[in-house]
Amino acid sequence: MASIHLQNIVKRYGAFTGVRHMSLDINDEEFLVLLGPSGCGKTTTMRMIAGLEHPTEGEVIIGTEVMNEVDARDRDVAMVFQGYALYPNMSIYENIRFPLRMRGVPASEHDKLIRRAADMVELGSYLDRKPGALSGGQRQRAALARAVVREPQVFLMDEPLSNLDAKLRASMRVQIKHLQRQLKITTVYVTHDQIEAMTLADRIVIMNQGAIQQVGTPDQIYSDPANTFVAGFIGSPPMNLIEGTAQNGKFTASGITAPCPAHLRGKVTLGIRPEDCRVGGDNVQGLVYGVEPTGDVTYLTVMAGSKQVEVKAARDYRSDIDVAIGIGFDPARLYFFGEDGERIRGAA
Amino acid sequence: MPQTLKTATKRKSRGESMLLRYLVLGSWAACCLLPILWFLTIAFRPRTEIITPSPIYWPSFSLDAWHLLMSDWPIAQYMRNSFFAVSGSVIIDLALAIPAAYALSRYEFKGREDIGFYILSTRMMAPAIVAVPIFFLFRSMGLLDTVWALMLVYAAINLSLVTWIIRSYMLDIPKELEDAARTDGAGDLRILWEIIVPACLPGIITAAVIATIFAINEFLFTLLIASTSKAYTMSVALANFTGGSDGVIYNAIALVSFLAFAPILILVILIQKHLSRGLTMGAVKG
Amino acid sequence: MAAIAPAHRTGGVAQAAPNRAPRRRSPALRKAFPYLLVAPALLYLMAITLYPGAFAIYQSLFVVTFKGWDWAGIDNYTRLLGDREFWAALGNTAVIGGISLVLQTVIAMTMAYFSYRDPMIKGWRIVFLMPMLFMPSAVAFIWKLGFNDGRVISDILLGLGIVSKNVDWLGSIWLARLTLIVADVWQWTPFLFIIFVAALQGQDQEIEEAARLDGASWPAIFWNISLPMMRPIIVVAITLRGIDITTMFTNVYIMTQGSPGGATETMSFFIYRQGFRMFNFGYASAASVLMLVMTVVIAQTVVKRAFHSGKK
Repeated sequence: MASIHLQNIVKRYGAFTGVRHMSLDINDEEFLVLLGPSGCGKTTTMRMIAGLEHPTEGEVIIGTEVMNEVDARDRDVAMVFQGYALYPNMSIYENIRFPLRMRGVPASEHDKLIRRAADMVELGSYLDRKPGALSGGQRQRAALARAVVREPQVFLMDEPLSNLDAKLRASMRVQIKHLQRQLKITTVYVTHDQIEAMTLADRIVIMNQGAIQQVGTPDQIYSDPANTFVAGFIGSPPMNLIEGTAQNGKFTASGITAPCPAHLRGKVTLGIRPEDCRVGGDNVQGLVYGVEPTGDVTYLTVMAGSKQVEVKAARDYRSDIDVAIGIGFDPARLYFFGEDGERIRGAA
Repeated sequence: MPQTLKTATKRKSRGESMLLRYLVLGSWAACCLLPILWFLTIAFRPRTEIITPSPIYWPSFSLDAWHLLMSDWPIAQYMRNSFFAVSGSVIIDLALAIPAAYALSRYEFKGREDIGFYILSTRMMAPAIVAVPIFFLFRSMGLLDTVWALMLVYAAINLSLVTWIIRSYMLDIPKELEDAARTDGAGDLRILWEIIVPACLPGIITAAVIATIFAINEFLFTLLIASTSKAYTMSVALANFTGGSDGVIYNAIALVSFLAFAPILILVILIQKHLSRGLTMGAVKG
Repeated sequence: MAAIAPAHRTGGVAQAAPNRAPRRRSPALRKAFPYLLVAPALLYLMAITLYPGAFAIYQSLFVVTFKGWDWAGIDNYTRLLGDREFWAALGNTAVIGGISLVLQTVIAMTMAYFSYRDPMIKGWRIVFLMPMLFMPSAVAFIWKLGFNDGRVISDILLGLGIVSKNVDWLGSIWLARLTLIVADVWQWTPFLFIIFVAALQGQDQEIEEAARLDGASWPAIFWNISLPMMRPIIVVAITLRGIDITTMFTNVYIMTQGSPGGATETMSFFIYRQGFRMFNFGYASAASVLMLVMTVVIAQTVVKRAFHSGKK
């Protein structure tokens, strides 16, 4: 129910700069995911939106109001934490009730609101328990209920699923997305898990070393990476990035050749996703390094010179190691990056 | 053949080490318990059978000490004094230490380390160093020989300990919990009272129990401040059973010792798991 | 579910929020807040340490009698530094305290080593803990009776054939000191034991198991792995105990009163005797100040380091 604007935010801790000159507009009702490796500044950014940290420079605006000096308690944002942060001494009911009490919601309304929130996350029958008596998934849902109960302007979620096992994570993911669509509350979600980012986000913000690398829809991020960092971070296994030389419309590295735009010269990095490589072809001449069947697909690693190339092969592909092999690239799916790591655009 | 030989010696050495273990532990247990048991028998002996040219090991049973306490000594008064001075001091300590520990554990501020260390270092001060000034201070305030003075002194003795123990437990509470409460709309003091205090209750109880024990035990200050039964506590009342033509009245002393020992034992069993952490002011996590 | 959402929204905080303007806390107050929290405790401790400290320094410059205070300058200090009894008290404190501390540490560590893997550890803990739970004054009387008045210990030693006649414990310097050492070791070994056992029980089981699979015996594990890992804890525990030992008073007061010939007079007892027996308050204060200086030095060096390493 509110847009969020970060204007030229800087956060320093002594000599260390956690977030550097970040500007970002988050739309009303949007599901925005901040994605990046640990220490990239994504959590700090979220905490500045929450009011738990204060920017060294720049402005945090929620709706139309500058929030820099407003305490977290008065920002009307709700946050879900990685460790759930349920109050251990209170029952789940009391946990969900806490924000209502703190914000002066009339006591007569509490019970109705708590039960509705608990029902939304299917937690109705656990209300009397203490957090310690719940499983990880139940605790996570209790934390969600505590966040939704007061209909905040903004939801903030800090890696809420990372303490859950893989199966539970998948089902909670759907539930969170459903809840967000249903409540239409602007949501900022921090994660280092690209699957979560791709599945949940309206838009993804990829961060590294305190700076935004790229902002875009999951499709844009995946198919149109802005630099080698984004290209190497998204996709599982990630894009192959091969350093080599471009000359006369041809890219070469040891054991690897590919066509490239004629205007490219000198050192460049070639990017190709594993699913855009196929067994058979002459772009890579190398030896089989390893074969990893996963059931629905088989991953093949080829050693060409000193470089490894990941290939997504057919599910029944099998090979011994150290067998000579040729790999072909889909010429329409080649990406080129300059020495600074930035994408070189133009027809391949 | 060599194989079986090896296992045989191994088994033997293990048997010996078990014997050694129980020999060592058993003898120290005897060292701990025998004096206590012997002192317990003292409590139920007639006075004539305590100080004798050669010790009497199988004395006759007597409730002399009990009658003596009931008739001649205001033992109930001593217990009341101990109780009020000690519990009052613990309440003062908690009231001062909880906010201080909260600041020391959850806030970043300039001088935090130094303030924390200053608080810790007051624990290192020998009572004798401040005994003379404190005596003069209380004399000028007209507090000598009152329970109030004892309360204030006990609170001071234990304040550093209580602060550091609680601080240690507060450090264990995840920052997230506080952040959650903050975004839920709670202010600093409410977070302290509704979130932090309940979450570190075991630490607060541990601190209170250890402070209670040290306060009950306190001797030097009590000796200086309390000069009549108006303010005598159990600890100093013991020293008062001596003197006069009767000499040291050991059976009464022993009886009082056990009267004080019982509640302390119960308190300590209550916090057993936290004892090592409490005794090291939080430096050791049991 | 979708139908619920709008109704929920109007019933939520949206209703309550408008009647409360967002609070903007001034940065100054935000900065001051933690200081306000520690202030009461800090002021209380200052009142009970800094004030007496200043008072002691001031009083130490006077000869205090019942008639009044006479300026003495540093006379008290020069007298003190030439006072054989003062140095004796310092030496006694070091000797009695040092021996006690070493014995306590060795016994506590031995008992901790033998008991921490024992199935009956809970029982041992309670038993070994008990001496610490008696009031120190009571413990002093236990040993006063045992050594001196009741002659029980002499009698037992006679029975074991270790001595040939009743021992006069207060008749020789070292025997008198021994009685104080025994009383202190008996009462306070539990303090160290409890901490050492907790440290041993709290150590990483996997490391111990790995060492066993590597073929190490229990004593070898203890020496090479447990002890080094426990070092910070040992340092903290011994430091705390060491500090307490230097303040030894109760046992001296009840058991020996410093006899024979001042051989068991500790620093605390010296100050007490000068102040409250001989009413040389100025002189006692001077001794307090010197002891305070030593305490501050110890606190700034040993204790600070001990607690820093203990934290890690």
